[in-house]
Amino acid sequence: MQTLIKQQSTIGAADRRTVGRVTVENPRIRCRNVHVYYGEKRAINGVTLDIGRNEVIAMIGPSGCGKSTFLRCLNRMNDAIDGCRVTGDILLDGQDIYDKRLDVVPLRAQVGIVFQKPNPFPKSIYENVAYGPRIHGLTSTRSELDEVVELSLQKAGLWDEVKDRLNQPGTGLSGGQQQRLCIARTIAVGPEVILMDEPCSALDPIATARVEALIDELREHYSIVIVTHSMQQAARLSQRTAYFHLGDLIEVGMTNQIFTNPRHRLTEDYITGRFG
Amino acid sequence: MNNRTDIRPGSTMERVNANLARRYAKERRFRRMGMGAIIISLLFLTLLFSSIISNGYSAFWQTSIQLEIHFKAETLDPDGSRDPGLLSAADYSSLVKGALRGIFPEVKKRKERRKLYALVSSGAAFRLRKMVMSNPDLIGSTARIWLPADDDVDMLVKGYIDRDKPEAERRMKDFQIAWLERLQREGRIEKRFNTTFFTAGDSREPELAGIYGAVMGSVFTLLITLALSFPIGVAAAIYLEEFAPVNRFTDFIEVNINNLAAVPSIVFGLLGLAVFINFFGLPRSVPLVGGLVLTLMTLPTIIITSRAALKSVPPSIREAALGIGASRMQTVFHHVLPQALPGMLTGAIIGMAQALGETAPLLMIGMVAFIVDIPAGMMDPATALPVQIYLWADSPERAFVERTSAAIMVLLTFLMAMNAVAVILRKRFEKRW
Amino acid sequence: MNKITEGHTVKRFDEEMLFLHRLVLQIGSLAQDQLRRAIQTLNDKDPTAARGVISRDQALNDLDVQADEAFINLIIKRQPMAKDLREIITISKAVSDLERVGDEARKIAQLTIQIYDTDNSPPNKQVLRDINTMAAFVGDMLEISLTAFDELDAPKALDVIRLDSELEEEYRSALRRLTTFVIEDARTIGHMVDVVLGLRALERIGGHAKNIAGYVLFLITGSDVRHKSLERIEGQII
Repeated sequence: MQTLIKQQSTIGAADRRTVGRVTVENPRIRCRNVHVYYGEKRAINGVTLDIGRNEVIAMIGPSGCGKSTFLRCLNRMNDAIDGCRVTGDILLDGQDIYDKRLDVVPLRAQVGIVFQKPNPFPKSIYENVAYGPRIHGLTSTRSELDEVVELSLQKAGLWDEVKDRLNQPGTGLSGGQQQRLCIARTIAVGPEVILMDEPCSALDPIATARVEALIDELREHYSIVIVTHSMQQAARLSQRTAYFHLGDLIEVGMTNQIFTNPRHRLTEDYITGRFG
Repeated sequence: MNNRTDIRPGSTMERVNANLARRYAKERRFRRMGMGAIIISLLFLTLLFSSIISNGYSAFWQTSIQLEIHFKAETLDPDGSRDPGLLSAADYSSLVKGALRGIFPEVKKRKERRKLYALVSSGAAFRLRKMVMSNPDLIGSTARIWLPADDDVDMLVKGYIDRDKPEAERRMKDFQIAWLERLQREGRIEKRFNTTFFTAGDSREPELAGIYGAVMGSVFTLLITLALSFPIGVAAAIYLEEFAPVNRFTDFIEVNINNLAAVPSIVFGLLGLAVFINFFGLPRSVPLVGGLVLTLMTLPTIIITSRAALKSVPPSIREAALGIGASRMQTVFHHVLPQALPGMLTGAIIGMAQALGETAPLLMIGMVAFIVDIPAGMMDPATALPVQIYLWADSPERAFVERTSAAIMVLLTFLMAMNAVAVILRKRFEKRW
Repeated sequence: MNKITEGHTVKRFDEEMLFLHRLVLQIGSLAQDQLRRAIQTLNDKDPTAARGVISRDQALNDLDVQADEAFINLIIKRQPMAKDLREIITISKAVSDLERVGDEARKIAQLTIQIYDTDNSPPNKQVLRDINTMAAFVGDMLEISLTAFDELDAPKALDVIRLDSELEEEYRSALRRLTTFVIEDARTIGHMVDVVLGLRALERIGGHAKNIAGYVLFLITGSDVRHKSLERIEGQII
């Protein structure tokens, strides 16, 4: 029997070296040899990866492969988890985000995050969006704040649907609207990078399509890192795709290439549905 | 393949059906057992309530005797000076005795006379003095006045003294009963609403004893408990739940808080005695010390319920706030705390209710003393409602039995009101989201 | 490494892929058979058998339709990715090439009818020999390309591509020979157009075999080898 790509049948250390080009010109975020530990357990194993400007990069991989963990390293959301330790360098525009002197609050304003389950605050739609600008002191007058809220909701494609009920609770919206509200809330602080942790996994196909359309538009202004379990979604949305496997970054490449002709056997097995 | 292990589609229906009846029977049995348990507990509850109410309701009425009191000037104010010092020192009981003698002129023997005077409560004189003190113009006039009867009379009128018993075995002699019957015939005996019960402090005389002093003692004690335990408990819970690092030390603290919650309350009383009274030299029997001791006792409850309330706030809210750059402090105070507050309030109120019903630790710090005066502040000697109940339950007079039950009814009313407030608060706060 | 159609978590996916894979081989062998029989009718001077060949082409067309349905279904259900995606595309293209091979075989059978069903005198033996030689050649190419597809054998696929340039040579020299015959004996001109068409059909079959080999290389390497020089393709594979 012939083999498609020359490989050993067992996965040795050599096979864990990342395949494909991990660097980009003028990256927004530069990760070098990032390891993450939960206590004694190693969750991420030496990931080196650049995240470009105005690109959507998708992270795919089986559950527990570390893609979400890696995503959360990028704005230090892992800080809140006890026993979580990150080594290696993560540079945002050349600034080490794990620098002891760096304040995590402005970092999170720069690198926003959208979660798997829509999690609006149990407050009004207006308050949800206004909260970020308010705590960061981005606006000084009420009318400025109104403007920021409107602009954010417009960018998130939600303005027309909610402009007449800004004072109603955000939790009363439908799932897809809630998720777009969460995106609007993130945009309102003016981030450069938006991290998305399976943003559509709790949504129905129509809501998913709307959120995807939104992500596609947002690419013009932001770098977007999206973790997804849907390969079709990764293929639709992203320009580059990274495949994680048991804490290793196995392969990075242009999305077209990853989905037609992955170079690594593990990537191939995963995306063709031969995993496990 | 034998018949038992055949699980092809369609082959199992028969066996499923055969088991179905047994399964449903099991469910029905379980349901009936649950209903039975509820019915039994309801039964005990009604038993408890009906025994308390049937024992206690009569305490809200007090037998009174109407007498024509002649406020004789020569007894009260012989020199006509209207001097309050003299007025208050005058012999008011002689007015009562005179009025009684007027109704029963035939009673002559000293021994019988004493029995006659005993029909009216010794508090009647105080009542008359109060009337005169507030309105000296009464002196010289005659008025028909309802005065509280003695507790034995009260018991007899309420039917708690069995008239068929041999005379030697009952507290009321035949001739006394005869007097009363005459008074009744003349319409001089009436059961009136017992305001004394709600406005007076403790007394040796049941007809003069009230719960007001105990209620005020409880109120002061609880105010101190609430003022101390809620802020301290909530602060401790927030720190432990949101900010403290997880290590051996915090684990140790957590275990000990749970242990404290299980410590018998009398131990807290001993602690309070040793620390607050013996070491810090605070006075005995005061609500301040009671409040401090009850604070120690309710603190673990409040910390545990507050932590549970904080834990029940979904982590997604925390993540959302942290994710847009809120600090941990802002996350907790803007998002987590408002969500957890209803639960915390409920916990605090339940803790307060527990403290309200607590007796043992208060016994240790001397709040069990016989205190007639109504406490006016944190440092006045006082007793508390449950302790008052304990004290009355210990008293031999028959009239204290109904007062004990009445006091229990008041205590239960307070507890239910507090629980209702807890429920209402929780509902109100939850609606805000 | 397993066979390309195997190892999916969803076993039914394996079966569907295997079904399509076998369908290609089935269509392939039917097309080969048609070619063989068409040539046979020519050699046997048997127009009746030739009509049989023509009517059998319908079976090939039916299989083509069946294959189209099968892979549209598979795309809807499984959304194949990576090598599955390449396999599906290869199959879809290979099937239409094989169907064309059948069409070309039909043309050869029509040639038999043209030549032997009329009163015209049979053509020169030499001319028919050229057809037989080329038929054997393209038959081999077809066989090798199908084997390459079945076994994912890149060297064999490369062989087919190499053979195709030889076939071109063969085709041109056969045409030259025909020209010589026509110049020598003008009477044969009657059949020459038919024979040229026959040769042309065989040359097209060779082209289809080459296409299939190209798809197989795409399937194996993941890059399109069409319109590239042989050396570059070889460089890519080795």
